[in-house]
Amino acid sequence: MTDTTPDGRRVLGLVPGKPVAGDRKEPEEQNLVMVWPHLLVRHAVAAMSVLLSVLLISVLFDAPLRSVANPTDTPNPEKAPWYFAALQELLSHFHPLIAGVLVPGGIIVGLIALPYIDNSPHERPNRRKVAVATFTIVLVAWIILTIIGFAFRGPNWGWVWPWQEWHGEL
Amino acid sequence: MGLTDETSGVIARLRRTPVGRSIFRSPPRVTPRDRAAGHWSSFLLHIYPVKVRRAELSFKYSWYLGVISTVLLGSLVVSGIYLMFFYVPSPNQAYTNIQTIQTEVTFGQYVRNVHRWSAHMMVLAVAMHMAKVFYRGAYKPPRQFNWVVGVMLLAMTLLMSFTGYLLPWDQLAFWAVTVGTEMASYVPLVGGDVQEMLLGGSVVGASTLLRFYVLHVAVLPAIIVFLLMIHLWRWRKDSMLDLDTGLDLDTGLDLDRELETADD
Repeated sequence: MTDTTPDGRRVLGLVPGKPVAGDRKEPEEQNLVMVWPHLLVRHAVAAMSVLLSVLLISVLFDAPLRSVANPTDTPNPEKAPWYFAALQELLSHFHPLIAGVLVPGGIIVGLIALPYIDNSPHERPNRRKVAVATFTIVLVAWIILTIIGFAFRGPNWGWVWPWQEWHGEL
Repeated sequence: MGLTDETSGVIARLRRTPVGRSIFRSPPRVTPRDRAAGHWSSFLLHIYPVKVRRAELSFKYSWYLGVISTVLLGSLVVSGIYLMFFYVPSPNQAYTNIQTIQTEVTFGQYVRNVHRWSAHMMVLAVAMHMAKVFYRGAYKPPRQFNWVVGVMLLAMTLLMSFTGYLLPWDQLAFWAVTVGTEMASYVPLVGGDVQEMLLGGSVVGASTLLRFYVLHVAVLPAIIVFLLMIHLWRWRKDSMLDLDTGLDLDTGLDLDRELETADD
């Protein structure tokens, strides 16, 4: 009876059962890649593409500049920047306490609390349907409200078709 | 494979000459451990982990929206600093300054365009980044807090864009900010005070312009850079903690295997 392993090392003791830490998975080396060059090259291409787009857009389109600010001449419609257009659209339908405070406040608090509310370990969208459905509904509603407020609203916040009257400003 | 690449070839031979050794500080990277060491010793690469999962390379994983947002921030800093040289935040001068920038300053109109379009694109990129991270489930442990930092960064990006919107002091700027700050006044109890603090008065005026300018060029950029540092640091730290594999991606080494080989 030999107490050495096939490669000649002596076995001092054998402990039956499973390791306390659980079965250790073999690292899947083939699924790991060096950041340099694999990720960095892609990041560099992405960075240069977006920079090139900005530089090209800036050749083609000039930033808007209207007449000098005049506190006595209120334009009609009065529009907030496009990223607040959804809020402005909501404010035209609901009481300011709801549209100006509860909804945006709820979205911000909800976003911050999201990882602590949805604390199931599943990452796949079909394993966390409630979270995905809620997020999607809010996101789609927000996008629609933004588009309406930005492009479909004219004088006195009335409905206009953007191809007939254009009131969106960037 | 890597071995021959690193020891033959023009660059490798150049590196072995006295001149080559004086140019390239470190010896050629031959083994995976060498290559990881090259990563650790680089200042610029310290924001990246040494290894990532292969899935993270693909476009569909992230759409590279984090990189895109960061690049746009860089574009905004560079173009913004240039514009600062020609701009005074006072109602008497702001608008004429913009006209001068557009007509007399070298590349003034172009730099202003870059700043404007980068700003809009950054708001879009950051918002899309958040949606992409949500659908990927990347806010799950251990990344919960980095999601929270990301929400703060989104809020700061919106504030950055909004404060910058006033600076041209044209009709568009004036009334957009009038409408935007009116929204703040709807908050119960403190809303009126918040609006007055933002405006420096009851209506948009000279002190509003100065306040928005200081927020835009000093306060908010400092907050964004600080939050971004935490955001990127957490991204690197959390991406390394791959509990399934037991592999420390920070160093690129399998610690258990290192210990085994040390025994031999």
